[in-house]
Amino acid sequence: MIRKLTLLLAALITSITVLAADNQYVLGVDGLACPFCGYGIEKRLNKVDGVTDVQVDVGESVVHVTMQEGKVLTEDRARQAVDEAGFTLRSYSVAEGRTGGGNGQ
Amino acid sequence: MTRIGKWSGYSILGLVVVLALLGCAGGAINWNQEPPYALVHSWGEKGSGPGQLSDPTGIAVTDTEVFVSDARNGRIQVFDHEGQFKRAFGTVGDGFGELGRPMNLTIHGDMLYVPEYMNDRIQVFSLAGDPLETIGGPGERPGQFDAPGGVAVAGNGDLFVTDFYNQRVQHLRADGSFVRQWGTTGETGRGAGEFTYPTDVTFADDGTLYVADGYGNRVQAFNAGGDFLDKWGGPFALGLYGPFKGWFTTATSIAVGPDGNVFVADFYNDRIQKFAADGDYLTAFGSEPENPGHTAMAVAIGSDGAVWSVNFADNRVEKWEPVK
Repeated sequence: MIRKLTLLLAALITSITVLAADNQYVLGVDGLACPFCGYGIEKRLNKVDGVTDVQVDVGESVVHVTMQEGKVLTEDRARQAVDEAGFTLRSYSVAEGRTGGGNGQ
Repeated sequence: MTRIGKWSGYSILGLVVVLALLGCAGGAINWNQEPPYALVHSWGEKGSGPGQLSDPTGIAVTDTEVFVSDARNGRIQVFDHEGQFKRAFGTVGDGFGELGRPMNLTIHGDMLYVPEYMNDRIQVFSLAGDPLETIGGPGERPGQFDAPGGVAVAGNGDLFVTDFYNQRVQHLRADGSFVRQWGTTGETGRGAGEFTYPTDVTFADDGTLYVADGYGNRVQAFNAGGDFLDKWGGPFALGLYGPFKGWFTTATSIAVGPDGNVFVADFYNDRIQKFAADGDYLTAFGSEPENPGHTAMAVAIGSDGAVWSVNFADNRVEKWEPVK
């Protein structure tokens, strides 16, 4: 019985982790070193429904976006936000296992 | 045979002249007219405690104090000229007295003008740090902003604001009412009086208004009546970017010194460039980044001619003086 409960708990944790991972995205965008650019990406993406956190990684030229559970950032919506900020979306992928920080303005 | 040799000589001479002209126009041929500046003092490190910085994006100086936009911490920090922390004001947010990514700072009289990138407004503080008023709000209509980056204040209190994503410079009364604008709202342009993501603006004593046309990679100058005077940056100031003398790769801040010289933060080239009032290149100096990113984000000039800058990549304040 205890073994079954342990397995069930492990499966539940795994499912939650996978769901959480599905809510995080990595956008490749070049030319983000200048804050006038990086902040623009943050500003546009923070206006997308369901976005809870945007982190710009200047060194890797990527943007990590965290969405509310159950919300999806489609590639088209990501591209639109990046375009509005004056950039081109180089790559789009769903992150695996990364957890977002606070949405510091 | 002699004639062919003669014409060959003229052709080569002509080619050299054309190349020399192109080189001068493009900055490839350019002589320093002044020695560079040397770093004489710096302070700061990444963090959120007093004296620590997280994304310094703007700077302004008085005869005794240095004001720094500590953007990601949502505050203005004030230091003495030796780098001793004196006070801080503001916190992250969009309420009165709160700040959403403060950018290029301007001191006029006894007031500090703070453009807020995320809150789309100009907030005015006393130099002690008391919030006094906010001007503007988000949007693209006259008097509204989309990521203001810099502000200049005229003698009568009128404001001139670089409205980054709206691709314009707005002239407003002190109460925020609209007077006029340069540039076409939401449309980038390469012509005179058109902008490509303008970042900062400043006045010279004679009333000339200088605009850092950020991704236009150039400076534009207007007279006191608002008429276009001049532009410089790369060949014919067409917007080409590059590392040569007099070129820019994203101009993020601009300031005028006591002698009327113009200093421009040339972000991706990690340098401050100094020009005469008419745009003649004088010298350049800056710090190589020790962390990912670039250094030369914002510049301010003291009344003694010392140059103050914020090093974005390394979260530092830097003071420069001419090499004697």
